Amino acid sequence: MSADGTIHARGIRKSFGPKTVLHEVDLDVACGEVCCIIGPSGSGKSTLLRCLNGLEEVDAGVLKVNGEDFGYYETPTAYHALGRKRLAQQRTRIGMVFQQFNLFPNMTAQENIMAGPVLVKGAEKRHAAEEAERLLASVGLRGFGHCYPAQLSGGQQQRVAIARSLAMDPQIMLFDEPTSALDPEKVGEVLAVMKDLAKKGMTMVVVTHEMGFAREVSDSLLFMDEGIVVERGDAREILANPKEARTQAFLERVL
Amino acid sequence: MLQTTGHGSERKTSVTDPALKPRLRRRGAFEYLAWALCVLLGAGVLYSVSTNPNFQWGVVAKYFTEQTILNGLMLTIFLTVATMLLGTLLGLVLAIMRSSRIKPVALTAGVYLTLFRGTPVLVQLIFWFNIAALYPNLTLGIPFTDIGVPVDINTLMSPITAALVGLTLNEAAYMAEIIRGGFSAVGKGQIEAADSLGMGSWTKLRKVIIPQAMPSIIPATGNQFIGMFKETSLVSVLGVAELLQSAQLIYARTYETIPLLIVASLWYLVMTLVLSYPQSLLEKRYSRSTSRLPRKAKKAVLTEPEGIAR
Repeated sequence: MSADGTIHARGIRKSFGPKTVLHEVDLDVACGEVCCIIGPSGSGKSTLLRCLNGLEEVDAGVLKVNGEDFGYYETPTAYHALGRKRLAQQRTRIGMVFQQFNLFPNMTAQENIMAGPVLVKGAEKRHAAEEAERLLASVGLRGFGHCYPAQLSGGQQQRVAIARSLAMDPQIMLFDEPTSALDPEKVGEVLAVMKDLAKKGMTMVVVTHEMGFAREVSDSLLFMDEGIVVERGDAREILANPKEARTQAFLERVL
Repeated sequence: MLQTTGHGSERKTSVTDPALKPRLRRRGAFEYLAWALCVLLGAGVLYSVSTNPNFQWGVVAKYFTEQTILNGLMLTIFLTVATMLLGTLLGLVLAIMRSSRIKPVALTAGVYLTLFRGTPVLVQLIFWFNIAALYPNLTLGIPFTDIGVPVDINTLMSPITAALVGLTLNEAAYMAEIIRGGFSAVGKGQIEAADSLGMGSWTKLRKVIIPQAMPSIIPATGNQFIGMFKETSLVSVLGVAELLQSAQLIYARTYETIPLLIVASLWYLVMTLVLSYPQSLLEKRYSRSTSRLPRKAKKAVLTEPEGIAR
């Protein structure tokens, strides 16, 4: 059985200087599963997500993404960091969507989407352009290819950013608070694209404050606080009947 | 209702519509005083300069387009362009080295910057000119082997070579700081986005970092260019016949020191003004808020209705 689109993390530890942000965190995401991570700010949820595609280096623990050790190779005595090329190659199979979109301002929407396939995978430009048009259409932005990010609204930029990640044909999509920087009326259009993606069977890990999205779309849910997973399980179940006191307190505040 | 509207034409002209009346700026007493002082001072300087015979304006006019002076000007322009080009290239390399994650690489660039920004460029120029005193014979080759090409430094280090080397190495240090400043202005998110797409360092630098660093690098480089034009006058101490040295060569013979210094100064001034125009255009272009849009951006005409995500 292929292990594509799966994440298995055991005992992930991460600290920034003296401050430990992740204490032995476990995470399992099956292929096609949508997993939401919620929690107060500073709980380590974004750090956990960023560890999954190597934007932060894990201090200790086992991390397997798409079935292979991520960023490291294992020998009997240690994990050795992979070379840049190999790491970059692993990253191409994981899409990442940022809170601040992080589109390249010097490229049009179409060029942003083509950047991955053309510059990294060496795809043929004409083919990549057609693919970009198709992806733009799929996020509801047909005909916006010639626009620069500065000419687009936040919601439109975020949808282009999703299309840019999808252009690499990833097995897993990571979302780091994708709607937190948006005007309230633009949140819906981005969530709609994400729901569509979930329906198509993409493995997704979403750090979010959108409880409605978590309830409606996600299969599993993690509630994190102070670097540990306080509660995990079925999303609807946790949101309806949280067992832990900290989860209850948090949900009371945000719902 | 306004009563003035229905009256004759002479009444119309004397009372303008209140909405159309110009709003006049308030001028204080200090402003008039400043004008008066400025005009007095200007007139005084102009009178003195035009009536003092020691300025010898006739001599200035005679030498202004003298072949020696023009040759010197050409050499000054060549030195400026050459050192700026080489200095920028070397500066780019140094900036990349300085931001390297590999310690010895970053450290090497750091030491270079400290040395070259910490000593006067005039001293550096004289130093390079006299480098043969340190290394009379240099052998280009592989260390600790016999393979190599011997080079006689004394003949290699002509005044012009020393000028080029000295100015380039010094300029590179300053350009490195400008370029590094531009790099650090590129947001961390941009680099993370490139990383998460799996871009290699070289692609990331070429396609993401450099294009976005340009708006802050280009105006500063323009300034350096104008500065370098005047800095080249320092190489006159090496006997390079650039603009200043050409003037000096003439007045050493004719003793018309002041007029020839004026000739050189006027050329420096003219060239600086000529260069200032494109520089101000560059600055304007890159300081506008719309400069976030690349030049080739089409006017935003979003005629198509915003699609609704399926």
